[in-house]
Amino acid sequence: MHFEGSEAIRAPVDAVWAFFMDAPSVAGCAPGFQKMEVLSPEHYKPTVAVGVGPVKATFTLDVTLTDLRPPHHATMRGHGIAAGSGVDLESQLDLAATGESSTSLAWTMDAVVSGAIASMGARLLENTAQKVTARFFECVREKLGTAPR
Amino acid sequence: MAVAIQGMGHSVKRKEDPRFLRGRGNYIDDLKLPGMLYMDILRSPYAHAIIKSIDASRALTLPGVLAVITGKDLDAAGLAWMPTLMSDKQMVLPVDRVVYQAQEVAAVIATERYIAADGITLIDVDYEPLPVVVDPKKALEPGATLVRPDREQKDNHIWHWEAGDKTATDQSFQEAAVVAKEDIYLPRIHVSSIETCGCVASFDKMAGKLTIWMTTQAPHAIRTVFSLVSKIPEHNIRVISPDIGGGFGGKVPVYPGYVIATVASITTGKPVKWIEDRSENLQADSFARDYHMTAELAATADGKMKALRIKTIADHGAFDAAANPSKFPAGLFSICTGSYDIPAAHMEVDGVYTNKPPGGIAYRCSFRVTEAVHAIERMVDSLALKLNMDPAALRLKNFIPPESFPYKSATGWEYDSGNYPAALHKAMDTIGYADLRREQAEKRARGELMGIGISTFTEIVGAGPSHTFDILGIKMFDSCEIRVHPTGSAIVRIGVQTQGQGHETTFAQIVAEELGLPVENITVEHGDTDTAPYGLGTYASRSTATAGAAAAMAARKIREKARLLAAHLLEASPDDLEWKDYQFQVKGDPARAKTMADIAFAAYTNHPQGMEAGLEAVNYYDPPNLTFPFGSYICVVDIDRGTGEVKIRRFVAIDDCGNIINPMIVDGQIHGGLTMGMAPALLEEISYDEAGNMRQSTFMDYLLPTAMETPAWELDKTCTPSPHHPFGAKGVGESATVGAPPAIVNAVVDALSHVGVSHIDIPITPWKVYAILEAHGLAAP
Amino acid sequence: MAEVQLNINGQPHQADVESRLLLVHFIREVANLTGTHIGCDSTSCGACTVLVDGLPAKSCTLFAVQVNGADISTVEGLEQDGQLHPIQEGFFEEHGLQCGFCTPGMMMAGVALLERNANPSEADVRHAISGNLCRCTGYVNIVKAIQYAGAKMRGELPERAAKEVA
Repeated sequence: MHFEGSEAIRAPVDAVWAFFMDAPSVAGCAPGFQKMEVLSPEHYKPTVAVGVGPVKATFTLDVTLTDLRPPHHATMRGHGIAAGSGVDLESQLDLAATGESSTSLAWTMDAVVSGAIASMGARLLENTAQKVTARFFECVREKLGTAPR
Repeated sequence: MAVAIQGMGHSVKRKEDPRFLRGRGNYIDDLKLPGMLYMDILRSPYAHAIIKSIDASRALTLPGVLAVITGKDLDAAGLAWMPTLMSDKQMVLPVDRVVYQAQEVAAVIATERYIAADGITLIDVDYEPLPVVVDPKKALEPGATLVRPDREQKDNHIWHWEAGDKTATDQSFQEAAVVAKEDIYLPRIHVSSIETCGCVASFDKMAGKLTIWMTTQAPHAIRTVFSLVSKIPEHNIRVISPDIGGGFGGKVPVYPGYVIATVASITTGKPVKWIEDRSENLQADSFARDYHMTAELAATADGKMKALRIKTIADHGAFDAAANPSKFPAGLFSICTGSYDIPAAHMEVDGVYTNKPPGGIAYRCSFRVTEAVHAIERMVDSLALKLNMDPAALRLKNFIPPESFPYKSATGWEYDSGNYPAALHKAMDTIGYADLRREQAEKRARGELMGIGISTFTEIVGAGPSHTFDILGIKMFDSCEIRVHPTGSAIVRIGVQTQGQGHETTFAQIVAEELGLPVENITVEHGDTDTAPYGLGTYASRSTATAGAAAAMAARKIREKARLLAAHLLEASPDDLEWKDYQFQVKGDPARAKTMADIAFAAYTNHPQGMEAGLEAVNYYDPPNLTFPFGSYICVVDIDRGTGEVKIRRFVAIDDCGNIINPMIVDGQIHGGLTMGMAPALLEEISYDEAGNMRQSTFMDYLLPTAMETPAWELDKTCTPSPHHPFGAKGVGESATVGAPPAIVNAVVDALSHVGVSHIDIPITPWKVYAILEAHGLAAP
Repeated sequence: MAEVQLNINGQPHQADVESRLLLVHFIREVANLTGTHIGCDSTSCGACTVLVDGLPAKSCTLFAVQVNGADISTVEGLEQDGQLHPIQEGFFEEHGLQCGFCTPGMMMAGVALLERNANPSEADVRHAISGNLCRCTGYVNIVKAIQYAGAKMRGELPERAAKEVA
């Protein structure tokens, strides 16, 4: 599955960058987030509960940040497994200052889901993924002090 | 007067019903043995992955979990791989990699069912996903992901198979005035009998004997395979088929679960039960179809068919485990010249590996005859469209004439008997074909969409003669053993295995007819390899043609001895007796007669000196040929222009299966077969996404027909007996599943042919139809 | 664990069970009545259909604790005093079963229909059994079987000698 979007955030680009580099902040916006192990600023393992249709799974993701070019670009990769399902994520984040206190954030997300969530939840998967992504960015905007669009 | 015989041709009520009606069937999950353990299987979420590690430590600490079995454990015993029925090999449990989603990865043995299910969630497997190949055409490209690195040949091509005369066929196509060509894809489907698969394996350490109750359509073949694989001598293996809740081909393969449960029983010394869930069944058990065909039919300008050419890519999944006879990797696909006198034909099939479960013929298909008939019946309509000819007229012009039987087809099959024009005329008269065409023209003028579809199929069943047919080397005879008791009743044991077809009734009827004993005094047993004579089982509509024939032949052997006993009792010469009205009568003096009951008593109390006592016989029947049931189906559909929904308004099925044992049971088979023909035509499909996820792993997404979608099928018959079968029967179990889908597709295409539609791949869902309507400006606002 | 008491076909059954024990497993493994079957894992097939306080229910989608104290009717309770229930007679006469696996659930759905509609049309019957899947029969004879049972219960059919029925 491939998703992409861009968000206008009323905060300076450095603040937005700092937010995304702070694991607990990002994790706090992930729907279904339960807990996390932080191994380094660029490597952490959040546990996230996800439901797609009749299938519920609790994933322990292995997330790494690479390709860091502050404050403009980061690549995030996640690999996780739950009982009966697996997920592989890759996300590209590109930030650009659009003013002193405004930033545009362009993002892409590529996800490969395998197993029960993908087979039993096939018809609902894309929809659910879109909703989860939308909720995530709503939370990000809120935390960074802006009203939803 | 004596109790009625009720042999051939009677709609005897079923002898198996009393227990089923009371909920007293003995299905595999009903079996409880003392100390029995339960097994559940952990399956791969990935379609293709390396297994880096399996950590079962958490599962083993769960109270009630006794063992976890992995590929490494089986490998130590040389059982991580097992042979398939197509001389390939298949993983029982993987040692280093998985090759399809839902493949078995590890098994938990526990004291209770729910604990075993908990146990599998506590096994940690570290997978490294690999690239996935789900498109067989992509799998054949150079550089494609290799599904089977264990093979010597390092590509995804399994085999190439051809039939017919390529030179003559190509020549014919070059010269042809008209050629119709279509790409036809038959998607994967899954047989989904309401009972899933399972077994109870029980190894008695003291006796060294393995008893395994198993949902199997072929218990003897399984016993032999198990013996060869496990090295347990065959006399120490007993396979028992209990009551089986539907088979349809899905209960022929040896699934890894059976083997793992057996190993578990041997290691624990306790009986081990394994019953799969529906989602396991749908995701991992043997599928059917998945044939990508390009078909061409050449004809003269006035509609005489000259040649047929079909190229097929066969997607077999990760292992070639279809249960075809060994010389036929593409089954009986070469029956695709169908009911027509086509002088030249050539077909080629290439088998391909992909990251999907193995299988290919598990859905009531007579070994790929569904594919063959779908192709030819679609091509006939496609040709009719090209020629602007009525599809019924085109068929009548090209049918093998009734006087040409036995008929040798261009691909070498000798059809035993047939009368195709009679069946088609009967179907057309019954449904009012001419009136329907008039109605269609009127409706079309008003913008209403109505279609009429015909399917005139010839089936090929009863595998099969020993010169051509074997499964893993075992010839495809079948058997029947009959013993008549002193007081005139009998026990019949057969080598075939019913899963709802009513053998306990029909085989009693065969013997009743042949021996003149009342059907209610005959009991039929099957399914226990310790007592039943060796047979190849029930699938591909073979039972009546093979074991049914064996029953008649065994009965006739008994009649030969009975004649001598009768002669002794009547103090007449055996040559002066005739078998008439179910008794031996003195020719010209019918009052002097002995019934089989009299004779049976004499066999034990008053047999002549020098003759052995008793009255029994066994026959292993090697059929001289296959049999060729056929039919004419006509389907009328109406298409809703607002929703794309296809409604079957009427469906007339004229079937010809030769002489019929029990008309009630035959009609039941046809009702069920038609429904399993409609299902893939309109509702069922198994598909995979790019990651190899199967999209229809429950009945929420894999749509079986309910009583709401299923029409009230209209049935009738013609009767063209088989000249070589002992009582002229042919078999009928799969005819309707073979014949129905193209009738339905032809009807939908017929409804839309006026706007240029010549083919639609199944399933014909409302969405597919609506897209076509929109594209042609026919969708209702 | 919880103590569950169910009246199945008029017989009390009591046991201490896990709260997550499905009703169908209570029926099959605690009460040892194996006529009720399991055919799927998504509440789709109806092979597990029983009557709970007279209403048809899919016993694979109920916990035993949920129906504590209820009256449950299963296929084993249809025959009374050696006499088959009209629905069983109908399925026998009309060849409404082949492999028999869907049959108990199908008959219970039929019984429930006839309780509320003594003279169902074909469409009524098809609708009432739309939650019961059958792979063998194509439904034609099942519809006839249920209509036969209705006719029998309305007194429109002659009595049969015990010997003639299953």
